[in-house]
Amino acid sequence: MSEYALEVRGLSKSFSGKPAVSDLSFAVREGEITGFLGPNGAGKTTSLRMALGIIQPDAGQSRLFGGPPTLAALNRVGFLPEERGVYRKMTAEAVIILFARLKGVPAETARQRAWALLERFGLADAGRKKIKELSKGMAQKVQIIAALAHEPDFVILDEPFSGLDPVNQAMLEEIVREQAAEGRTILFSTHVMQHAERLCDQIVLVARGRKVFDGKVDEALAAAPRQVIIETGCDSDVAALLAPFGTVEAMTADRAELKGWRVTLAPGSDAQDVLKACVDAQVKLARFEPIRAQLQDAFVELVSRDDPQEAAELIKEGEA
Amino acid sequence: MVKSYLIARREYLSYVATWGFWLSLISVPVIMVVFGSLPLLVQSSQPTRYYVIIDETGAGYDDIVQASLESGRRERAREALTLIGRAAGDDALQRALAAFDRDPVGLEGLPAALAELGVDESAGAFAEGFGRQVRVTAPAQSAEGLHPYLLGQRSIDTPTGPGELYGAIIIRQGEDRPLAVDYLSVNIAEADLGRQARNALERRLRRDFLVERGLQSADIDQLNALRPPVRNLDPSSGDEEDAAVTLADRAPFAASIMLAWVLWISVFSVANMLLTSLIEEKSGKILEVLLSTARFHEIIIGKLAGVAAVSFTLFAVWGLVGGLAMVVGGAALATVEPELAQAITAAIEPGLLLAALGYFVIGYLMFGAIFLAIGSLCETLQEAQSLMSPVILFLMAPMLILAVSFTSMDSAFVQFASWVPVWTPFLMMARLPYEPGLTEILATSALMLVTMVAVLWGAAAVFRQGALSQANVDSVKRFFQRKKRKSG
Repeated sequence: MSEYALEVRGLSKSFSGKPAVSDLSFAVREGEITGFLGPNGAGKTTSLRMALGIIQPDAGQSRLFGGPPTLAALNRVGFLPEERGVYRKMTAEAVIILFARLKGVPAETARQRAWALLERFGLADAGRKKIKELSKGMAQKVQIIAALAHEPDFVILDEPFSGLDPVNQAMLEEIVREQAAEGRTILFSTHVMQHAERLCDQIVLVARGRKVFDGKVDEALAAAPRQVIIETGCDSDVAALLAPFGTVEAMTADRAELKGWRVTLAPGSDAQDVLKACVDAQVKLARFEPIRAQLQDAFVELVSRDDPQEAAELIKEGEA
Repeated sequence: MVKSYLIARREYLSYVATWGFWLSLISVPVIMVVFGSLPLLVQSSQPTRYYVIIDETGAGYDDIVQASLESGRRERAREALTLIGRAAGDDALQRALAAFDRDPVGLEGLPAALAELGVDESAGAFAEGFGRQVRVTAPAQSAEGLHPYLLGQRSIDTPTGPGELYGAIIIRQGEDRPLAVDYLSVNIAEADLGRQARNALERRLRRDFLVERGLQSADIDQLNALRPPVRNLDPSSGDEEDAAVTLADRAPFAASIMLAWVLWISVFSVANMLLTSLIEEKSGKILEVLLSTARFHEIIIGKLAGVAAVSFTLFAVWGLVGGLAMVVGGAALATVEPELAQAITAAIEPGLLLAALGYFVIGYLMFGAIFLAIGSLCETLQEAQSLMSPVILFLMAPMLILAVSFTSMDSAFVQFASWVPVWTPFLMMARLPYEPGLTEILATSALMLVTMVAVLWGAAAVFRQGALSQANVDSVKRFFQRKKRKSG
């Protein structure tokens, strides 16, 4: 038995000569929540489609539960694609039963599970309504239920948070945690790093079809530049004082009578060293704030090592 | 296969649950009944037409024309009486005809004849059906004088009160011939009265001419009877009696052409259903969900089978209704119109129906696969229409060939066209009663089957690209633009 629900090795795919995914390798360990992160157009959806055997890679291979992605293996997977939809003229119950049965669940069991899940998701009253009569949020819940009704071992969600309002995003995060707590392996793709930070044990970062990081969230955060914000009312040459600790940039302070600096710490330097230097130099500090590393920053940093241009675009995207 | 079955089942139920399906189911038998009875409806709803006959020569030609019109009307009434009488049995029919013939020139005997058949309560309606053209007294003796009446500006006296003058027959001296007829009516699309007047006068003038030349009346009758009868004989049918070609012999030829048309319309409609269903799934972003549960070929097979099941349900119900109508109405028709009943029975050849079924399945798979491939490339019906136009023109060709080769299905051109695999189901269907060689049937069928497999394979490849939007309408345009550049 493989310890991985999914392993992809050297996956590559081009469309009309333009590479969408290049030499991508990563693995999803069973029982973990893995985030598959990258900006729009990074190749996440194409990678997931290749991983599931929906499209064939130009090179490389994918293994589901230690074997090729056969239909038998796919029956153990619950997949919510990015471009998702359901039959609008079918009832919620019928949609869930259909997809459960397509995954090999007997009719009666599918019906029982459909109603249990509808109840659990607060949709019991909507079970016999046609999808076209439901709100967008309710329809999306039905789609999620349809991906879970066959009680899969491995749940793959492609951009599951896109199009959801904050309330439904929080609900979906809760569902992901519940599914993981029940022992399921989860892989979800997103371009919103905050969801991954909150949910994931493991992340895979991709940009322009290439993997830029694969590991724990903390490890990724370690790559993010550490910064300290300082504001002071005295006239000391703070920039010169802190230059040995890293790059110092002047910034606008919160109050007009104060001066502000952002210190991006050099490797080996620490926020405590900066504080000590300020205290020793009797700099009167109005603000001393070590900035918590963000996954977005880590991502930009990791991308910029390989591709500064892409990193610049990501920064623009983040600012937008 | 379970997945294909589930997809087919969903497809089937999605159609069966729609109003459109039930409307199609009911509308076809209803439309057939309506179309079948349309001539009768038109005839019975026709208003009474009043006409006048003016003979400017004063030689009594108006009475000759009127007698001829009444004689024609009487003849039609007698034929109708015979049709009704057959259902009542030979004795009743003979009694009814004897009663009818008591007035040898008019319709005076009709009520008694209908009474013999026990339908005397409908005598009025029956008589009216054959008396919808009524001669009235002319209110003026010239075309000019009749104008206000013909234009509806003035009314004429009719047996039921004031009415509108429909037509006027004016018989006058001809310039280079003995007689000329002017027929006046505002209904320029219909000139039956004028034609009947001309025929009656022509017969009379011929007779007068021959009498003038010294022929006796009996000789003239003999002269008129000289037209040789033509018998159509089929030398492949054994002895002379069996060789006479009847309506029943011709029925399979007409039936096969009709079946070919029905086949094409069915295949085309059903394939269109597939197209709209696929576009709905594509625009609804359902295909990728399906693809995570089933493979491409399972989806294609499921969709093709589901829609095929819809069409078979329609055929089964229509067949059942048709069969019941045959059982119930067939016996009655056999007594009224035995030749027609025999023709209908002969048209329903099990071999033809079986061939139609086979050709439907193969034609549907070819057309369906082509439409599925097109649908997979399109997001909207408008996009599909732009791709469909050239395809439809090609697929419609057998219908055009059928229309122009109606009576010459054995021509070399139709034989040649039968070898085009996507046309084969329809053209071979129409040609089957002409008994093409077994080798030709088998060879065209084999070519068609090979093409069907190739089309399914090609459609699956296109579907694979189109379903996940890796190819679209623009890809097709680019493909042809590249081809054009290469050839340029």
